[in-house]
Amino acid sequence: MWETGSFFRYLLYQRGNPQQRIFLPNFWLKLVRPEHKQPPNIVQFIVSLQMTKYDIRNYLEKIYKIPVVDIRTVVAMGKTKQDELKGYVTKEDDCKVAFVTLPRGQEFEFPDLFPKDDKKLESDAKTLEETKKNYRQFLEKTKKRPGMPGWYSY
Amino acid sequence: MGRFRWQRMSIALRKSTIRIRPLKYEQEYTETPQYPPILDTSYEARKRRMDEQWHEKLKALKTVEEKLFEINMPRYYGWKCIMLSEDSIPYNSLSFAQHVTRTHLGEIKNLSPYSTDLEEESNRLLEHVKPWIEEALIFEFKYRSRKHEYLNNEEVLVDKLDNIIGSSIVQQVNRILLGNLSTKAPHLLKCQVDTDPRVESFWCVGGMNPHTFLRRQREKVPWLKDAADEPINRWFQYLGAPMMHLRHELPLPAVLQMRESESPAVDVPFFRYDPKVIGFHDARQLGTNIPGFWPGDACEFGLLSYHHRGHMHRRLLQYGEEDRAEALHAQAIFASYGWLLPQACYQGFSTFNDMTYPLVTQTVITNGKLWSFYVYQLNTTLLHADHTSKNPRHNLCWGTPELKLFEAIEDGKVIGFNDDVLKYLLKFYLNAPKVREGVEMKPYLGDMEKHIADISEDKRREWLEAEFKHMYSRRPRHILPYEIYQWERIYKIRHQTRPFEARRRPFELQNVRPHMRRYDEHVPRYIPKKFRDVNKYKQKFEDTYYP
Repeated sequence: MWETGSFFRYLLYQRGNPQQRIFLPNFWLKLVRPEHKQPPNIVQFIVSLQMTKYDIRNYLEKIYKIPVVDIRTVVAMGKTKQDELKGYVTKEDDCKVAFVTLPRGQEFEFPDLFPKDDKKLESDAKTLEETKKNYRQFLEKTKKRPGMPGWYSY
Repeated sequence: MGRFRWQRMSIALRKSTIRIRPLKYEQEYTETPQYPPILDTSYEARKRRMDEQWHEKLKALKTVEEKLFEINMPRYYGWKCIMLSEDSIPYNSLSFAQHVTRTHLGEIKNLSPYSTDLEEESNRLLEHVKPWIEEALIFEFKYRSRKHEYLNNEEVLVDKLDNIIGSSIVQQVNRILLGNLSTKAPHLLKCQVDTDPRVESFWCVGGMNPHTFLRRQREKVPWLKDAADEPINRWFQYLGAPMMHLRHELPLPAVLQMRESESPAVDVPFFRYDPKVIGFHDARQLGTNIPGFWPGDACEFGLLSYHHRGHMHRRLLQYGEEDRAEALHAQAIFASYGWLLPQACYQGFSTFNDMTYPLVTQTVITNGKLWSFYVYQLNTTLLHADHTSKNPRHNLCWGTPELKLFEAIEDGKVIGFNDDVLKYLLKFYLNAPKVREGVEMKPYLGDMEKHIADISEDKRREWLEAEFKHMYSRRPRHILPYEIYQWERIYKIRHQTRPFEARRRPFELQNVRPHMRRYDEHVPRYIPKKFRDVNKYKQKFEDTYYP
């Protein structure tokens, strides 16, 4: 979205500083798992480079009704990658990281998006064991005929 | 110093300074065999022993300045430290302030000398002083022009104006109280008053999580993998900005006995996060411990310090009332600890050598109208490594919420004057310092040499004096510390795209770590031939006297 330039454009400053009001912003915030170990009332987001602290505050307060106490932002450099064959280096886009402080006492824990399903793991392990057992049986049966293909029945 | 080269350092490191002379048989022989103690040879134990050795060295140094010097010796470009300043306190940082200074916070209301002896005395003197204070308030708030004070600034910043009015009122109040009380309290005649003193302190605290970079580095090393989350020591540099302080030759009497702070009722919140996650930043610099005067000054114990509160205007409204009160407490804790620690350092203690007796100070935060009062007792300076959890002693702080001195000034009259506020101030001035009976004040300093000025050897004294003052000037090193440029990080470190280039930069060399360079790792000053001593004409470089 941001690459195509369809994001909201900030207007140049004019005398009197008339404020832009938008009702359907096409910005988005990405809630990410915190990088550092931090107090439970701090939440980490990845936001568009164009967004200011005021934008982030309005976004969270007006749309999601989240009480925001403080915001600290940092622009993080994108990762670099080297081409395996030709050796040239390419870089991903930069992004802005926002650390949003909620009022004291409030806690946010990043959800476990892919919880481990114990039942499924167990059944998978069982299937794997069975397959291994069958293969061992097959090997035992055909050990006197090395190189005999598996599809050859006798 | 310009001759220092990285390539030489590796050679210097390989040289051993140990000289082994064989013992004679008589020296070697004893009746019963004597074995050296069996030491734990694990990595942690060896590291701890090395640290302890350094702390013992610090303790054994004779003069104050050498002790302060030695703390910076391991790093040429200084320690990486978390910077604490008086006028920027992040949201919700009281528990951090308490952990970092190991301070228990209580209320001043029923504190014994302030609610008993001093209370009566202040009641007697209150009416005597009150009209003078009222007159000063009316003058400062109503009749004194402030325009010239911020003429150069186009915008009048509210916080700056707050500080300006605050300091002029404090000057007036201090003048009135010293003048009126000095006949009743003779200790005030002898005390020194400093305006805008330089107060800085530097200490080491453990118990907080390692930063993310270090944690990831540890996870890569097989034998450090399990200890990746082990807390690390951090250095803290506090830069204070008191508007005025009073000091005396004698210390204030202790409020409580030192061992009373060991009781389980005294608790301190544990802050386990990296301070950077709540909004502090770090910088590399040489640590400075200075309480507003140089070592050797006669008046070396603080009585009272006044602090600005203009920064409260810069705090966001969203922070709320509770945080406003806590920010003042945090400011007072840092201001008091930050002043008492360098005072303790001048008595020969340090962040690694614990106090043997408590020190007390009184702190006032004000803008002329709103006043907060704090009493602080420094019991321990030992906060590094696991002392954050194991040290039985705590520092103690007692405070008030912010109090209004008056409601308004109308028609040349002060309306709603709050006597309690003035009484607190009177109590602070009347609290007389006393001689500590039977206490050795400077146990870790030399008998004859307590400061560099006492050193009899001329050359060494002058050299140490010049170097110490240079270290404490907070100037950057004359050769700037090296940095890895962005292009190097991308094309040389992350992706090895230039394999044929000569490897000359420190990160490409073995065993060259510029930030680990010691303070004394430099070529001493060259002596031109015509200035050389006739008897030592082969001595090319001047002597150094690092502690």
